[in-house]
Amino acid sequence: MIESSLASLGATIVVASSSDENHPPENITDGNTNTFWMSTGMFPQEFIIRFSEPTDISAVTVDSYNVKHLKIEKNTSQSASQFESVTEKEFQQTDGHLQSNAISLNGSGATHLRLIITSGYDHFASVHRVSVQNEHS
Amino acid sequence: MVKLRAKCLLVGDAAVGKSALSHMFHSDGTLFQKNYSMTTGVDLMMKCVQIPETSDSVELYIVDSAGKQTLVEACEKMWGEVSLLCLVFDLSSEQSFANCSHWMERVRAHCRGTRLPGVLVGNKTDLSTRREVQASVAQEWAESQGLEYHETSAKEKENCDAPILALATAFHSLYQEHRETIQNLSPG
Ligand SMILES: Nc1nc2c(ncn2[C@@H]2O[C@H](COP(=O)(O)OP(=O)(O)OP(=O)(O)O)[C@@H](O)[C@H]2O)c(=O)[nH]1
Ligand SMILES: [Mg+2]
Repeated sequence: MIESSLASLGATIVVASSSDENHPPENITDGNTNTFWMSTGMFPQEFIIRFSEPTDISAVTVDSYNVKHLKIEKNTSQSASQFESVTEKEFQQTDGHLQSNAISLNGSGATHLRLIITSGYDHFASVHRVSVQNEHS
Repeated sequence: MVKLRAKCLLVGDAAVGKSALSHMFHSDGTLFQKNYSMTTGVDLMMKCVQIPETSDSVELYIVDSAGKQTLVEACEKMWGEVSLLCLVFDLSSEQSFANCSHWMERVRAHCRGTRLPGVLVGNKTDLSTRREVQASVAQEWAESQGLEYHETSAKEKENCDAPILALATAFHSLYQEHRETIQNLSPG
């Protein structure tokens, strides 16, 4: 099993509910936890990751800050619509350092993953990196 | 350029002029209802505010919540997550000012520790001969609560932009503060 940054898998962010020019959603896929995407007020907030080809994902790791509750949905179609829910998780609050949560997805195949932050520990939440563990690539 | 989004809770006693103010915010002062029509639930209003000297803006979702005692509890269930507070009283009613502390308590309890920037608005400056609350007293209380104080007249369309701009600016500052905090975090 290998852990890959999303960019190295050819994955891109196709939709994000918030955007600050200085902290674009591409910062989620670049594999670097020093760069981040930040929500710009109110929840829910979401972003959608598109994989260049159907990918078997056993788990995702999310590095973030102030995220309280995260829902994950996926689909296997070419367009970023009609998602089915996969799992959800409550994150622990951290102070002074990032949250890092591994979430099991049971090896389900997907072309899109949709991550929805349904609530946060403060007005704003940030996502610094999402990486995936896949069976083979 | 950033577009921020904030939910602003508009509360205060019945008939202090919350709905009148929210109409002023929204229609830029074209609509003033002389006849009192009580809000019985919550009304939602959107206003986009440009932050001066930046290319940033804040979309304010203003939740105008009924002031009548017996309706408050039901309304609170519809407040949801709140980002900003606009607490209003009537300058010609000492009682409406005294009740501000109860409103503050309720809102604080609702927000469970999340910091809530906000303004205190003394409305109806046009009723100057009937004024019961002095600006200095209101100002002092506002400061003790961490609120910025403004006086308005929704009727005379006076100063109604000031509280809205203050709210948007406060939220913008909060965003920048958070961004800085996040920039200085260490990995998990
Ligand atoms: N003279 C004067 N009257 C005002 C002003 N603003 C509002 N009013 C009047 O005060 C009354 C109550 O105004 P509303 O805006 O409905 O009050 P509210 O705070 O929304 O009241 P609830 O919905 O019951 O909580 C109406 O008759 C308005 O015309 C003002 O600046 N000056
Ligand atoms: Mg009203």
